[in-house]
Amino acid sequence: MSDVSTLTNIDAALHELLDRPWLCIVWDDPVNLMSYVVFVFQKLFGFSKEKAHELMLLVHNEGRAVVATGSREEMERHVQRLHEHGLWATLQRDDKI
Amino acid sequence: MSKFERSGKAFSLDLTLDEAHILINLVEQLLELLGEGDFFHHYDMNDPFAQLMSLQHEVVAPDDSVLLRLLPNAYNDPEAAGDFRRYTEPAIRSTKQRVLREVRTHLAILVDEDKAGTVADLEADTWLMALNDLRLALSVRLEINEDSFDLFESLPDEDPQKSIYAVYYWLGWLQENLLTLL
Repeated sequence: MSDVSTLTNIDAALHELLDRPWLCIVWDDPVNLMSYVVFVFQKLFGFSKEKAHELMLLVHNEGRAVVATGSREEMERHVQRLHEHGLWATLQRDDKI
Repeated sequence: MSKFERSGKAFSLDLTLDEAHILINLVEQLLELLGEGDFFHHYDMNDPFAQLMSLQHEVVAPDDSVLLRLLPNAYNDPEAAGDFRRYTEPAIRSTKQRVLREVRTHLAILVDEDKAGTVADLEADTWLMALNDLRLALSVRLEINEDSFDLFESLPDEDPQKSIYAVYYWLGWLQENLLTLL
């Protein structure tokens, strides 16, 4: 027989799991020009030049950076647009709970 | 060297006939690689670029390393990556084809008239995307990494890889040139 408190815990855990956002990640590569990456970030995400530049440097220095978070559908759409522009992007669930 | 120019919102590019030939050859080979071969080709299939690029396509993760760079996996998980590819790759592929076809149409005017000239009223975004994909394609074939500049500089001038690298470098220069005008 199920214990109500366990069910509540499962429910809470499930909610937490479903609420975890998806991450859109851009990876560094030796080909894309820094100025082009800044251009693409501004165009696709509407970032200011400064913000786009900062993110580009993060990708360059750290090897990757999260450029957007949100629902799986939204992140898939971002990855699609990034691939169309030749950037190397992936999406994944946020690891942190 | 040919440069992009901007007048108000209009961009143009003066090209020598040789430059137009190099560009249209690369564009047509990349279109072919992306699965679109139904157009008149300005290059010879024995051309070294043509041999670098030629192969077939499918909607599973591509075997060809150029295609895998242009259409990378969106997920680490193979099943999710496969689903994304099935539903989304045709749209990505079609955007890339559209951009390359547009650039090809501009270049074909010069090449078909067999003379140097100006590509007028070009769409900067379209050219940036096309130049970028051409660079990505060549970079895979040339195995570009952070040390490539020194490596290719040190090759003898008669090495064919060195001339392909020179084209790769020129495309980057052109792309940077256009970006500075935005």
